[in-house]
Amino acid sequence: MKIKSPPGLHYPITVNKFVKQKDEEVQRSSPLFKYHYTSVVEEGDKYGDVKTVQRTFIATFHSSIDGTITKWFIKDGAEIQRPGVDLVEIEEPCTHEVQFGGLCVNCGKDMTATDYLTEERNDTRATINMTHDNVALLVSQKEAARAEEDAKRRLLSAKKLSLIVDLDQTVIHTTCERTIAEWQADPENPNYEAVKDVKSFQLADDNVAHVAANWYYVKMRPGLKDFFDRMSTMYEMHIYTMATRAYAQAVAKIIDPERKYFGDRILSRDENYTDKQKSLHRLFPTNTDMAVIIDDRADIWHYSDNLVRVPVFNFFPGAGDINASFLPKQQELVSATPKKAVAEPSAKDEEGDTAKPVSVAGKPTESVPTDTTNGGLTEIEQQLLSMGAADAPEVIEQQAKEQEKVIITQQTERPLLKQQLLLDKEDEAAGEEETTEVAQNGDSQEHHKHRHSLLHDDDQGLEVIEANLVRVHHAFYDEYSKKKTGAQGGRVAALRGEKSPKKRAIEDFVPDVKNLMPQIKHDVLNGCVILFSGIIPLGMDVRQSDFGLWISSFGAEVIERVDHKRLTHVIANPDRKTSKVKDAAKNPRIKIVTAEWMFQCCTQWERVDETPYHIEVSDAERGGSPWEFSEEDIAITGDEEGEDTTTEAARLEMSNMSDDKWQALGDEIDDFLNESDESDDDNNSGSETDDSDASQNSTSKLQRRKKRTLERVTSLTNVVTADKSSGLPSPETTGPEEEQGEEEGKVIDPAAAAHDVDSDSNDGLEAQMLAEFERSASEDQPVEVA
Amino acid sequence: MFFLKELEKTIQLHPSYFGPLIRAHIHRELLTKEEGSSTGKFTIVCILDNFDISDGQVMPGTGAAEYTVHYKAIVWRPYKGEVVDGVVTSVIRSGFFVDCGSLNAFVGRAMIPSEIKFDANATPPQWTDNGDQVIEKGTNIRIKIKGLRSEVDKMYAIGTMKEDYLGPLQT
Repeated sequence: MKIKSPPGLHYPITVNKFVKQKDEEVQRSSPLFKYHYTSVVEEGDKYGDVKTVQRTFIATFHSSIDGTITKWFIKDGAEIQRPGVDLVEIEEPCTHEVQFGGLCVNCGKDMTATDYLTEERNDTRATINMTHDNVALLVSQKEAARAEEDAKRRLLSAKKLSLIVDLDQTVIHTTCERTIAEWQADPENPNYEAVKDVKSFQLADDNVAHVAANWYYVKMRPGLKDFFDRMSTMYEMHIYTMATRAYAQAVAKIIDPERKYFGDRILSRDENYTDKQKSLHRLFPTNTDMAVIIDDRADIWHYSDNLVRVPVFNFFPGAGDINASFLPKQQELVSATPKKAVAEPSAKDEEGDTAKPVSVAGKPTESVPTDTTNGGLTEIEQQLLSMGAADAPEVIEQQAKEQEKVIITQQTERPLLKQQLLLDKEDEAAGEEETTEVAQNGDSQEHHKHRHSLLHDDDQGLEVIEANLVRVHHAFYDEYSKKKTGAQGGRVAALRGEKSPKKRAIEDFVPDVKNLMPQIKHDVLNGCVILFSGIIPLGMDVRQSDFGLWISSFGAEVIERVDHKRLTHVIANPDRKTSKVKDAAKNPRIKIVTAEWMFQCCTQWERVDETPYHIEVSDAERGGSPWEFSEEDIAITGDEEGEDTTTEAARLEMSNMSDDKWQALGDEIDDFLNESDESDDDNNSGSETDDSDASQNSTSKLQRRKKRTLERVTSLTNVVTADKSSGLPSPETTGPEEEQGEEEGKVIDPAAAAHDVDSDSNDGLEAQMLAEFERSASEDQPVEVA
Repeated sequence: MFFLKELEKTIQLHPSYFGPLIRAHIHRELLTKEEGSSTGKFTIVCILDNFDISDGQVMPGTGAAEYTVHYKAIVWRPYKGEVVDGVVTSVIRSGFFVDCGSLNAFVGRAMIPSEIKFDANATPPQWTDNGDQVIEKGTNIRIKIKGLRSEVDKMYAIGTMKEDYLGPLQT
């Protein structure tokens, strides 16, 4: 180690004499050289007068370490002007590369000791922790690099990569609800098939829940054992979880009873230093080239390039991740979980429907996500509040309490049991209805006896993950062998040529997963331009949102406004037709799909066919105006004359209606009046279906008003779906285009003109519509047309 | 090394325990709290039965009573150079961890005889000389303490097995 001139001396100093020569052994605190310096001091003489005089002092420089002097950087008589000048090189017998609990592993000395000679404490030499299960063992940068180099060679020779496996909701799902045990014991239960292989365990030192003997029920993702079997030939697997050590080990015992997949490579929250994020550098401090991660959350990995994000494994509906309640909840997760939950049951329902023709299957599960969405919002707020308080111990305590609360809630309230009971009830109701139906259809009778199970054992996430992991592995070793043969060829050439053959470092032809994976992913949705509508909460930066980042990592570009030239996909909420969706729908080239399409693409790493995820937008909305019209065009053409034609045409429509149609129309208007502003769009979408060619609809004033109200809609509100079934033209729609052309501006209806002066408020709109309706209805006569 | 040591402990007792069985409560409290605990310097192995309880004093404000208990206990204090037996808890590339009762020790690569090599491909990973010496998780082992450091309630030790008669114990 080099010793430099320390701060705190009276510079400049002049070296007088070396005490120790080169190759001599020095002890700590033994003198190395003598030097002198000059300083100004106050001196008193015998008469009591104080004088300031300049004096020269001689001092000794002591060694701060043991060892052998290998080189002097200074000469006798040299003057040292400032701190930080190299003085001497001393080779230490032990460089304390590996330290355990503040002790050097090789020499057994205490590394934390400090004295007057200490410039830098010895424990700063080893600061990297790369052991899975111990926080006391630290190594130096050099040692870490050496260890990784070893590991790399071993993996390369075995043709493997490292795989970091997350536990909760990636390969298993855990709940604490003892309902599971009851279901397991009851073969009659509809969930028996799904839960019969659920394993359970207790933790001895469970200080999380003070409720005595808390049982954990662990469901393995279907096909887990085969997955591990196949993956262990290509990957060396590590567990990295945010759960406690005891929990992680208990789960590892379940998923890997022979300890052949993971061995002792288990890293838990207890060894992670922070409970807010995971870091690849915790395990691979210097080199992450060969590490692949599978996790259901990208946020805690900071969207690492090594991450293969997997579909969430949500076996126990509503149970969530019991260990994530301790984590700071990310907004993305809150919005992601319910949406996933919506998507999955719907997929299941399709399968279920073909197998057993029952229509109610989806209902209870669909009701769950809406609950969680609303609940999730308040959680976001809570989290935002608590995030401000940083790492205060109270916050951590509070988080611990939250986790406890989750567990206790699962134990006492037993949400799964409740959901199943609800399901049973609906089954009964549906069963009664269907006995009659099926009797007519002559369909099979058996399914009536079948109670619907709450739990579905049909997750196929692992197949998708496996395909991706195999792909990465192949890509890596293809690239590796390509580079290697290239390098060898180069070496042969170099040998033949005049240049001396340099042995190339192994790094030169080991590819980097961080580069390979984004390349593979980037090709998936390359060229897609994506717009989110009704998916991401307002006020959030779309590109920085979880979904936005996720889909951009697959090469798609995320934009925020409808751009007819470039936009290729709109990812929308199927329940709500936002103005963006409608605008985009005018262009047949733009595909409007559910979020499920995105999930499928991003999990399968393939651009899946959009057709099954297509959101139907009625022709009226699409054809409401030709897609060439942008919003600006509409605004310009919208004028009084447009309004006139509207009312005109509306009357035309009305005149052709029969009485029952009037009834339906009346209901619809009542609906409209009863609704809040936000639901305007639903009314609109339901009512315009007939007029596919009425191109000037949108020019009416009513339309423009509605557009304005639409723009006030927040995407966070959950809209009560209005009755879309009537399909009748509503008063604000116009007749066919040619008629308008002829009659344009010819007749000015006095009533409409009067209403025209109404304020822009919605009261005015409603009043106007009501008046129009009542007037026409009372006359019940075709209105005179020019 | 084991010692017989006189110790003192202050115990606070909730008013609900006041009654004829108060001595038993204090005794139980002493045993559960003290036995097995480590002060950082030594570990209390066993508290001897003969102990002395002072008069209780009610704490103002809480109603709890405070008792000072004098007792003798067998304590264990490890020393540098001491030879101890332990159980291997974890085996890694840079060495292995040994549990010697309350003392957590680590034996680094440099402290392992050179004929014993690390085998990462074995399941579980182990240090072995490919003969009868195999060090894996759960192995009973004899080591010599080479360095010792204590924190508030913990002790860390560095062990060596590079001397005669040290290493895995034959079972």
